[in-house]
Amino acid sequence: MSADSREELRELSYAEAIREAMDIALGRDERVILMGEDIGVYGGAFQVTGNLVEKYGTDRVMDTPISELGGAGVAVGAALTGLRPIFEFQFSDFAALAMEQIVNQAAKIRYMLGGAVSVPLVMRFPAGSGTGAAAQHSQSLEAWFGHVPGLKVIQPSTPEDAKGMLLAALEDPDPVMIFEHKILYKMKGHVPEGYYTTPIGKAAIRRPGTDVSIVATSLMVHKALAAAETLAGEGIDVEVIDLRTVRPMDRETILASVRKTGKLICVYEGVKTLGVGAEISAMVAESDAFDFLEAPILRLGGAESPIPYNPELEKAVVPQVPDILEAARNIAKGRV
Amino acid sequence: MEKSRPMSEVNIPYAIRAYSPEALKAALRKMILIRKFEEGAEDCYTRGLIHGTMHLSIGQEASAVGSCMSLSDEDKITSTHRGHGHCIAKNADLGKMFAEFFGKDTGYCRGRGGSMHIADVAKGNLGANGIVGGGLPIAVGAALSAKRLGTGAVTICFFGDGANNEGAFHEALNMAAVWKLPVVFVCENNKYGMSTSTERSTAVKNIAERAAAYSMPGVTVDGNDFSAVSEAVDTAVTHARAGNGPSLVENLTYRWRGHSKSDRNRYRTKEEISDWMERDPILQMTELLLSHKVISEAEVETLQAETTQVIKDAIEFAAASPAPEIEDAIRFVYNEGTAA
Amino acid sequence: MPVEVIMPKVDMDMASGKITVWHVAAGDRVGQGDPLFDIETDKAAMEVEAAASGYLHHRVAEGTDVPIGQPVAWIYAEGEDVGAPPEAAARSAAGTAAEAGPGPASERAAETVPAPEPHAKTRATPLARHLAAKAGLDIGEIAGSGPRGRVQAEDVRGELHQPPPSKGAAPAGFTAENGPLAVSRSIGGAGTPIILLHGFASDAKSWGPLERHLGDHPIIRIELPAHGKSPKLRISGFADLVCEVRRAFDKLDLGSAHLIGHSLGAAVALAIADTRPKTVSSLTLLAPAGLGPDINGAALAGLGNATRPESLGPWLKLMVCNERLISDGYVRAAMSARADAGLRSAQSALADAVFPDGVQAFDLKSALDRIEVPTRIVWGKQDRIIPWQHALRAPGRVSLHLFDNVGHIPQFEIPDEVGKLLRAHL
Repeated sequence: MSADSREELRELSYAEAIREAMDIALGRDERVILMGEDIGVYGGAFQVTGNLVEKYGTDRVMDTPISELGGAGVAVGAALTGLRPIFEFQFSDFAALAMEQIVNQAAKIRYMLGGAVSVPLVMRFPAGSGTGAAAQHSQSLEAWFGHVPGLKVIQPSTPEDAKGMLLAALEDPDPVMIFEHKILYKMKGHVPEGYYTTPIGKAAIRRPGTDVSIVATSLMVHKALAAAETLAGEGIDVEVIDLRTVRPMDRETILASVRKTGKLICVYEGVKTLGVGAEISAMVAESDAFDFLEAPILRLGGAESPIPYNPELEKAVVPQVPDILEAARNIAKGRV
Repeated sequence: MEKSRPMSEVNIPYAIRAYSPEALKAALRKMILIRKFEEGAEDCYTRGLIHGTMHLSIGQEASAVGSCMSLSDEDKITSTHRGHGHCIAKNADLGKMFAEFFGKDTGYCRGRGGSMHIADVAKGNLGANGIVGGGLPIAVGAALSAKRLGTGAVTICFFGDGANNEGAFHEALNMAAVWKLPVVFVCENNKYGMSTSTERSTAVKNIAERAAAYSMPGVTVDGNDFSAVSEAVDTAVTHARAGNGPSLVENLTYRWRGHSKSDRNRYRTKEEISDWMERDPILQMTELLLSHKVISEAEVETLQAETTQVIKDAIEFAAASPAPEIEDAIRFVYNEGTAA
Repeated sequence: MPVEVIMPKVDMDMASGKITVWHVAAGDRVGQGDPLFDIETDKAAMEVEAAASGYLHHRVAEGTDVPIGQPVAWIYAEGEDVGAPPEAAARSAAGTAAEAGPGPASERAAETVPAPEPHAKTRATPLARHLAAKAGLDIGEIAGSGPRGRVQAEDVRGELHQPPPSKGAAPAGFTAENGPLAVSRSIGGAGTPIILLHGFASDAKSWGPLERHLGDHPIIRIELPAHGKSPKLRISGFADLVCEVRRAFDKLDLGSAHLIGHSLGAAVALAIADTRPKTVSSLTLLAPAGLGPDINGAALAGLGNATRPESLGPWLKLMVCNERLISDGYVRAAMSARADAGLRSAQSALADAVFPDGVQAFDLKSALDRIEVPTRIVWGKQDRIIPWQHALRAPGRVSLHLFDNVGHIPQFEIPDEVGKLLRAHL
């Protein structure tokens, strides 16, 4: 078996891909440090940092106190003065504790100072529902931060992108927030060896199609792909676009798809109202692609409620494959 | 210990012992510049030339200048919304400061930040901050960089009495202590967080007492006494530079003006204000230098005239500077070429 | 040089202030820090202290509103000459404040003329509008097949599928006329008018493709009872039907007319020609009913019963030879024209009256034998509704035009051929 074909077969989990990216980054750049709660010997709440502390020591894989605001602020200050911190929040929900440093400081310092400085900070956020962790540990808050100029917000959906986009985030001179769906951590997929970057701000067409465009984020990309398979058997040819980056959004890929299909469904786990899909819909409605619409734009998003504990309720409040099937059938058959 | 020293040395204040006459004269000049800069800014504001609001530190000049005495450009500071003095103490360009106040493209922030966000990274000033307590964790981060990169730099974190009740204060002090970082927390206690006095807002009598909670040295000094301030902060800086971790210094001082330009001064008596005005830090510093023959009356007069001219020139530079281009309004949000 | 006392900016969004009271009389001495005057802004009142010691002169009057930065008085030193008020200091933003723009938009908006009532909107998808606009079609004229009657792109494409009008040949438009039945008359045109009678379950609009090929004659379209915009009359039988249509025909009061009918409409046309021989100049029967007993009863019932495009489509396809002409959009458009359940039930009743049990209950063979007006029969040899062989019962003087690969609606499938044929005799 040749080296090339071994390379093609190499699979890692999403969490392993992130760990590999951090390992590469720590190895190639002395300025890179990891900060977060229980990321040292514990290995991180979701075992993403794993055993990196053994390799790089506690000076570079730093357990912080349970101080999200202070910890994020330390990371901002360190980024401002020459380090390249990767700050792990234990759950994305805890971003609320650090809102001040993320929104008022990290996002704005460069602008407030007229471009004199940059804040090259990477923040990682385990996000999303499906683990039974209930309302304070299951949210999808990317839209909150997508609303803030100065931040970049990404949601890789595959192991390959998780690695490539993390390395791209480290190369980026501006603050980047990575929302990692917890359900994806165990998902396996092909991950190239070595150093590579996957561009921030570029969506990926995961499945080309001609009848309906589905723009999905994070875990919803996989649900949309599953739905697309079923729909193909019914003669409905769905194009699935993985948004990958919430801000800055790849408008052109979405608009080109809408010009082709005339039908758009946005699928995202965050609360539907004022969410990522609202922005995509409005962006399409404002563009020339509006002229190509053949049906109202549909949004499938999280229910207008906190995430409940009971597993059936938990499933009910975020879009599932049958919801996507129904929406796609309705829009494809002119029922909406 | 004190008894064994010769009387003459015991009676000589720290500042006179520690600094050269040139350094002391430069310090007095900076204090006068801060005063005149802020009076000039206030005059421009009342004439409607300055947009928004501003927070004047008139009366707090000894704290700003005394705290920065042993810093080089490599050392960092983080500042507050009442930060003009810190900028000037850290050798900022007054023309660029006024230009920023006037919203001009030649200003420190090219007209994007205004009075509350002036920074001068080349001089080690990481910036004022519009959020009370916003700079505290950032200062700790700067200290972390210094330790990790081995630069030997110390960070002075200025904050007010109001910030000592923010969660960020406690988180920042704790982390700085846990990681033994080279940072000095300088609290400029001017007695009021806007209108609320420290008596009404803070459980401890002296904010420096809170250092004990984070196992770091804490000291309270007369913030209008240049020598006392510089002695306390220099000690803390030496402690930090030696790798012994953070300290907390509390400078008791007073702002003569209101919190901001919209303050109607309903929470302080005229008597209290005039009592503090009698303890003018610049007068005290001038008397200190005169009494120790560091400076002459004639030199003080020359200094006054020279600084008046510097301020005038700075305002003229700002007034004559071009405004930013409107089409550049959203420039500098991201590094160029990195955002769609 | 006296010290200028200005109206200070004391608030973030303050443009001017009003002096409510002076604490120092003109000419009196004032000390630095003494209360000098009170000002009032739209938000608050506050006291302003003297910035210098001396004698107060050139006070502005109490109650005056002064832009920020403008002088309100001057303080003179002891013994200083008090002349005219000095020039205000050059550095002030008062000018800009005074030149502030006009009032809020709401005030101006109040003066604007109220917008005219918006026109009733047609529901259409953005793509349908885009295509219609590009093709120069009025979206309001296109039947919508989408939810709530929304015009879809397919509907517009269906419309576009019709052969393009040859320049000048198509009537400019039609005007409706009052009468017992819905009658529309083309605007303009010259020569003997042409009267068009459509078939069962159709309507006047179905003539569109053929009309473009009829030259410059005035065209009059009569819609059968219970069809198109005509009243949903209950028809007891074929004679009753002819009676209603003839009444509309008579009301036209024409000297002469060419009569063209299709299917059931052709039967009616033949009956009218039989009874109004002087008025009818020529008769064209397209796949006419009335020349034999056979008719596809299942198709009639299917057309009448269909309530959605899926059930209508197969029957429409049965009407033609080239089924590709019946696009989904065409079907949806046809269904939306039949959306009215009352219309459908009236048509079913009509079918039951004239074609009971799927049989043509009337025979016009003798009428065809009788009439003397020039008559043509046009038929597609793949007609699956009425067998084209019925044409063979026509007497020898009637011209027969039988087309291969054409179904029951020749004027839809080969409008150009049919038009050419007709123009030669009009």
